[in-house]
Amino acid sequence: MSIITRAIASADREARYLSSGELQAIRDFYEAGPQRLRIASILSENEPQIVQLGSQRFWQRCPYTPSNSGNPTFRASCMRDQGWYVRLIVYSVIVGDIEPLQRIGVNGAKEMYTSLEIPLRNLVEALRCLKEVALEMMTVEDASEVAPYFDYLIQGMMP
Amino acid sequence: MSTTANGGSPVVCPQRYHTVPTTVITQAEQQDRYLKHSELNELASYFSSGTKLMEIAATLTQNAEAIVSAGANRIFVWGTPMAYLEKPPNRKNLPGYNVFPRQRITTAPQETLKQQAPFYPFYQDWISKVVDLGRSLLDDKDPVPEGFSPINIRRYGPDRMKKSMRDLSWFLRYVTYAIVAGDSSILTVNVKGLRGIIPEDVTIATVVAMQTMKWKALTYFKADAEAAAIIKQHFDQMIADYQVAKPTVLLRQGVSNDQQGLQLPPSYSSAAAHRPKLVMKPNLSATEKQDAIKAAYRQVFERDITRAYGVSLADLESQVKSGMISMKEFIRHLGQSRLYRKEFYEPFVISRVIELAFRHFLGRGVSSIEEFQEHFAIISKAGLAALINALVDSQEYADYFGEETVPYLRGLGLEAQECRNWGAQIDLFKYSAPVRKVPQFLTLFGDYQKPLPDQHPYGAGNDPLEIQFGAIFPPENTAHTARPAIFDEDSRRILINCGAGLDKGASHSPGLGKAPGSLGTRVLRFNRSAITNGHTLNGKTPKAGQSTNVNFSSSWAEVVIHGTYRQVFGRDVYDGQRQTAAEIKLKSGEITVRDFIRQVAKSRPFRSLYWESLYITKAIEYIHRRLMGRPTYGRREMNHYYDLCARKGFYALVDDILDSSEYLEAFGEDTVPYERYITPRGYALRGLRGELPLPKVAPEDHHNNGFHSSYKGMDYTGVIGVVPHFHRALKHGMPQSAISIKLEEVKQLRAEMTQRAAEQASEDREESSEFSPQPEAVQPVEVAPQ
Repeated sequence: MSIITRAIASADREARYLSSGELQAIRDFYEAGPQRLRIASILSENEPQIVQLGSQRFWQRCPYTPSNSGNPTFRASCMRDQGWYVRLIVYSVIVGDIEPLQRIGVNGAKEMYTSLEIPLRNLVEALRCLKEVALEMMTVEDASEVAPYFDYLIQGMMP
Repeated sequence: MSTTANGGSPVVCPQRYHTVPTTVITQAEQQDRYLKHSELNELASYFSSGTKLMEIAATLTQNAEAIVSAGANRIFVWGTPMAYLEKPPNRKNLPGYNVFPRQRITTAPQETLKQQAPFYPFYQDWISKVVDLGRSLLDDKDPVPEGFSPINIRRYGPDRMKKSMRDLSWFLRYVTYAIVAGDSSILTVNVKGLRGIIPEDVTIATVVAMQTMKWKALTYFKADAEAAAIIKQHFDQMIADYQVAKPTVLLRQGVSNDQQGLQLPPSYSSAAAHRPKLVMKPNLSATEKQDAIKAAYRQVFERDITRAYGVSLADLESQVKSGMISMKEFIRHLGQSRLYRKEFYEPFVISRVIELAFRHFLGRGVSSIEEFQEHFAIISKAGLAALINALVDSQEYADYFGEETVPYLRGLGLEAQECRNWGAQIDLFKYSAPVRKVPQFLTLFGDYQKPLPDQHPYGAGNDPLEIQFGAIFPPENTAHTARPAIFDEDSRRILINCGAGLDKGASHSPGLGKAPGSLGTRVLRFNRSAITNGHTLNGKTPKAGQSTNVNFSSSWAEVVIHGTYRQVFGRDVYDGQRQTAAEIKLKSGEITVRDFIRQVAKSRPFRSLYWESLYITKAIEYIHRRLMGRPTYGRREMNHYYDLCARKGFYALVDDILDSSEYLEAFGEDTVPYERYITPRGYALRGLRGELPLPKVAPEDHHNNGFHSSYKGMDYTGVIGVVPHFHRALKHGMPQSAISIKLEEVKQLRAEMTQRAAEQASEDREESSEFSPQPEAVQPVEVAPQ
């Protein structure tokens, strides 16, 4: 789902043309397009750095966590998952909707981490660090655009 | 937020059409990568074209009627086709309508849509027709297909006219959607296959109408070549899709046609076409080969192994790239690699290994218990390698994937889906499937075959429907299982008899006395013969010597009335709530107790207490317990009441219960209903501390499970409450002395009861009339051992 598909779905349900309000919302979406692409490229180009800095900050805050226990597999998988979430957020930013993030990243993810015996509190903390590091790289305007996606993710992972 | 599953069928909402951004991210997501530069550029140009697209869509919307009428006038003659165009209702001024999230409030909203259907005078239509015809002759247009002849409106009929006009406007509407989406997949998804639905004789005319609409739409953009190109592209796409014959139904291969399962709409498969199936061929470029190899990794290991584990099977890759081994052999080698064994064999039980292997190598879930058993035999006999060989060498693999294709998940849209494993299969295709350690298909198929006599239709617990304060569904503490409920309408609840022993039917139990009230609740029976004999009983105790007392029942009118209120309302009523008129009629013998109950139950207070304030299941359950004296048996009975309540309402429900043959047999005309059965949970609730009163003996089965399992195969409805505890005690190894003592007690108690009941019965035969109230009867809970 994106803004466009949602507008089309609601217009189609009532068998009418797109209303002026909907056209306006879509136009806004288009106009914010360059900004979205800018955010997406910042996130994709700096992904290794974001993950690196985010993990360091996370380990400072939560020293006792599986990924900081010295086990290289845990460490690698923790960083892999962080990169994965950054990528999902890029998708969501481009579409302008939480749907890709929700479908792949949030639905069932909590259960998955629980079954892998990863403490959810630490996971949330890690995501918070990721968010802080990512937002520090952007202008205030861009940051306010991308922050809700991180917030949604963090909300979904709350134990 | 957590996922919830209902009845084993997760909600699926496939993305059925695409916009430019969704197309781009779908492909990136399938390959687990960030967006390429080319894709970002595509997006950038799409976003920058946004204003243009909006303009086009707005102009088309504004001139929608002119465009549709141009198309219609071209193919219809002798009449005004626009008179048949029906519009959606105007809801513009309704509150909340047309407000879209994130809508920017502008100072003067520019209203571009015509909301009212204008009146079409004949001459105006005629003039526009002539003008259009003249112009269209001058412009260069698509060639009119052969065999086109205009349709006469009068012969065509108003119904078909309406449908035709609706469709024409529908086509234009979807073109505007496609323009806004920047992708014509919405047209493809919706238009393909229409040819089989719109009558064949108007196919050519429809094409002509679409061509004319295209021409008319283009006239608004004569100065704008870019916009014209966009419009032309979408209209051409629509016409091309329309001319394609109806797509054939996707069949599952290797399965007989009558076992195909649930066929999904073709739009699902059109949507699925965006995810390409990758093939490994010798003449492909290096990047395409690399893509195919990555796809194989994603299919077998569920992720890109070089990124995820830093492992690469360079030797195998080079072999498959150079064509030394086929894709099928590559997949086989992947399955037999150490990595696969470590990831998908060692952490799982064998049943789950089989399920995951089906996903990885056949792209589907296990289809039946027989199939499962067959593969279970293979893996337990010869190990994982043999299982993978069996799957890869199977006929099904050859049919679907052959030597070259990379296996893919055969989910929604790709073929008909089986109903038997629907929910489990959708779960298996999720990203989180390997995290689930518990086998799903096997347990599901097992559930299908296993009768579950002690479960109730309304929940997964043993019998949650005991009425308590609040909802009758207790809060679920168990983990959600995505498994369907196994109840059918014939499943019946287990009920414990707490009233009189009946001498027939399922609750027949020879050990119990036949007299009501000898065990269980006190029974009130109103004796009308006393009235006809001339005794008026208003509040007066009968003379002592007048009758010999049998202790069965009370015919004392006030007591009966009082008891009726207590039974029907569950409590004593306030004075204002009494049905005084009905009471007088009962006392004078004009109506029977059954009619009195009917009037009480249909009264205003009862209705507001048990009907209006409750949701329907709980209302029925309450009323049934009040009037019929037992909980409902299960789905079949409830279905009957649901139907009755939906069709006829509350009063019919009361009538139905009071007129049922069961009521007449159990209570007849003159007995006040009493509680005859209760549920095990209700029974437990009445004990000490709300638990079954044997905590020391069998602490593990407080929740009735042990109780039921020790009684498999018996009909419980006739067993009185006392007995099961002793059976349970025996089963669970109570100290022998304790059992023997208590069994002694109970034997003695039951002997006494039987004897007393027999005496009462004999006295009943001797004496036909009796008056005095009966002493308190023995409650089952009180004799239960502590």
